[in-house]
Amino acid sequence: MGISNLFEVANTAVTAQRLAIEVAGENIANVNTDGYSRQQVIMTNKPVTTSNGFPLGTGVEVQSVRRSYDGMLQQQIVNGNSTYQQNLARQTALTQIQPSFNELATDGLGKAVDNFFSAWSDLSANPQGTAERQALLSTTQVMVDNFHQMSQTLTGIQTTADNQLVGITADVSENARGLALVNSQIMATNAVGGNANELLDQRDLLLRKLSEKIGITSTLQSDGTATVTLTGGAHEPLVSGNKYATLYTNPNGGKNDILITGVGNPAPAAIPTLDANVTTTIGGPGNSLGELGGTLQVRDTIVPGYLGKVNEMAAQLVSAVNTQHQAGYGIDGPPPTNLHDFFLAGGTTAATISLDPALTANTIAAGLPTASDPVPSSNNNGNALQLAALKNASFGFSTGSTTFAGFYSSLVSTVGIDTQSAQNTTIQGEAFLKQLNTLQQSNSGVSLDEELTNLTKYQQAFQGAAKVLNTATEMLDTILGLVR
Amino acid sequence: MRVTPGMTADNALYHLQQGRTANDALLEQISSGLNINRPSDDPLTTRQLLDLQDQISSGEQYTSNITKGKLLLNVTDTALGGMADTIAQAKKVAGSLSSGSSDPTTIASAVSQLTQLKSQLIDYGNTQLGNQYVFGGFKNVQPFSSTGTFNGTDDSLDVQITQSSQVSTNVSGGKLLRGGTPPPVVGTGATAGNTPVDILGSIDALILAISGNNPSGITDGIKNMQAAADQVNASISDVAGRLTRLDNVQTMITNNQNTLKGIYSDKQTVDYAKAGVELSQQTTAFNAALSATSKISQLSLLDYLK
Repeated sequence: MGISNLFEVANTAVTAQRLAIEVAGENIANVNTDGYSRQQVIMTNKPVTTSNGFPLGTGVEVQSVRRSYDGMLQQQIVNGNSTYQQNLARQTALTQIQPSFNELATDGLGKAVDNFFSAWSDLSANPQGTAERQALLSTTQVMVDNFHQMSQTLTGIQTTADNQLVGITADVSENARGLALVNSQIMATNAVGGNANELLDQRDLLLRKLSEKIGITSTLQSDGTATVTLTGGAHEPLVSGNKYATLYTNPNGGKNDILITGVGNPAPAAIPTLDANVTTTIGGPGNSLGELGGTLQVRDTIVPGYLGKVNEMAAQLVSAVNTQHQAGYGIDGPPPTNLHDFFLAGGTTAATISLDPALTANTIAAGLPTASDPVPSSNNNGNALQLAALKNASFGFSTGSTTFAGFYSSLVSTVGIDTQSAQNTTIQGEAFLKQLNTLQQSNSGVSLDEELTNLTKYQQAFQGAAKVLNTATEMLDTILGLVR
Repeated sequence: MRVTPGMTADNALYHLQQGRTANDALLEQISSGLNINRPSDDPLTTRQLLDLQDQISSGEQYTSNITKGKLLLNVTDTALGGMADTIAQAKKVAGSLSSGSSDPTTIASAVSQLTQLKSQLIDYGNTQLGNQYVFGGFKNVQPFSSTGTFNGTDDSLDVQITQSSQVSTNVSGGKLLRGGTPPPVVGTGATAGNTPVDILGSIDALILAISGNNPSGITDGIKNMQAAADQVNASISDVAGRLTRLDNVQTMITNNQNTLKGIYSDKQTVDYAKAGVELSQQTTAFNAALSATSKISQLSLLDYLK
């Protein structure tokens, strides 16, 4: 082995240590970069040759710059994100709905219905009282307003959820386009034998972002690119190599449908009549996947469910009160008005319930004909008693036979349980994700202390290699001096 | 496990957030004074609280009904007392002439007295509370005309006093002063003193008997007045019975309300001592977390490298 070989060895060392310092610098620079995986320099010694009868290495070489990465964790985070974001979307909507049903803090619909029957009871104690009759009218108006308010709140949340779909699908399309771009860059880098570590980080970050919005199934190809299909429905392809699809919304009967185009680069133009309608499948079973699933669940299941119950209560109230009211007589006339409605007969939903426009204080039918009072007189309270008694009467609701108060209380309780369960699963999901992220950070995160130590380590090795060069130079000088 | 400063920062944030959430929940309880501030805090207890609220509000409504009923019955009771006195006087006038009299002055005086007493009874029968005639049944017109014709109805004006029972808040004027609608024939001879008795009709018959100096008619009249007194007294004890019943139910409802409110408050009112202690514990823990976070996050190898 000649002195020139010594130069060769020192040269490999200087190059390798410099590269290692560069990698440490890159790590330090990206300490706060979202999705960045720390990189490590893997060094090996160069092939062994025989020198003066002894086998000796020929220096060091950088075998690879390795990305600290755990594919299993990444997959779990993708799944965890989907569930967490779905719960979060539900929780956000439910915490907006809950105040409307919060009878504990403020008087709402439940109290208004109670007051309505109390007003009938008051009227029964003084059936010809103008004050009692007027109070009944205004109490009823308050209750009707409460029904309207409830309906508006719920419909408002439904509309908001529907509008959010536009943003979410646009986000998904943007990320899909980004992922297709990263895929094509990975392919290009691989083609020239380059190192695509940072691109792989971006790929994983985009997959995580996609999984927050919708349920996706991703497959990593041997060339490092990711292929993404929707988890729900017919597994429509979203990203394949450098091709991507566009997810978009299309208004249909007051609601947005969600459609997906085929894949292409650029993605084919949206044609609502031809593209696949994935509204019912994209959220996965029971709309359980991603922010999109949660939002669809709010729009199509949760809000319609509550609204259905409130509507059911309004319909039952209108029908029960009107039926009894028709049996009675007012105190106007003679002859007193009879066979008339209390509520507008057509208004059988929370949004449309209203007092019958023809009803006045004096035509409220408090009197019920008796044998001795066939045309009820002004002090006849028979019908008011019957109407007040509806408070304690049971009706065949969809949840079973119960009173109005019982039905509403169980609805409040249902909203409470739904909200609580959404909150609990969100908290659990958060803790689970935090644990996964901690594990991932532990594996892939940059530690400044570690990088600083590495920096010192590589710097000293660099200095050592330089010293070897220095020694080799002096040795060569000495030998050259011999021949002078 | 490898720990990076990023993990430490994330962990610190997560735990500080948890601490703040716990503090916030306690603070909300203390400032609102309520254990359960929204249904999701405890859906099951919410259901119970709403049922309790409903029962309490029903109790309040029944109490209000009872108060109104008692007012009506008390006014009725006073009128009935007046009627009893009036009938006693009528009986006395008749008694003083039980063997008849031919003295025109005595007769004229007795007739005039009885006529007065009859109008007095009619006045009592037209007693009003506010603008409501207490003896008129369902009709709100003057129940007795000046001649004593009953224009009201015999219906019972009920109010709800518990979920399952109603109580009548009136006495039928027709049954009380006329013995029914239409009034029964005024008893004479063997039927004199039978109930129900047409009180106003009997007084008319008595006046006729006295004017005609008809001793047997006067004797029948005395018997009828006795029956009238019994009839009014029966009504008085009936009303008194109903008032007692209302009192009892009211006491029962009040006791019930106290129990219900006690349970409600047990479930819903914050135990300040307990909440205070918990808040203090939470605050200590939170302070410790803040202090630890500030110390840990300052540690770095950079401080020691030259």
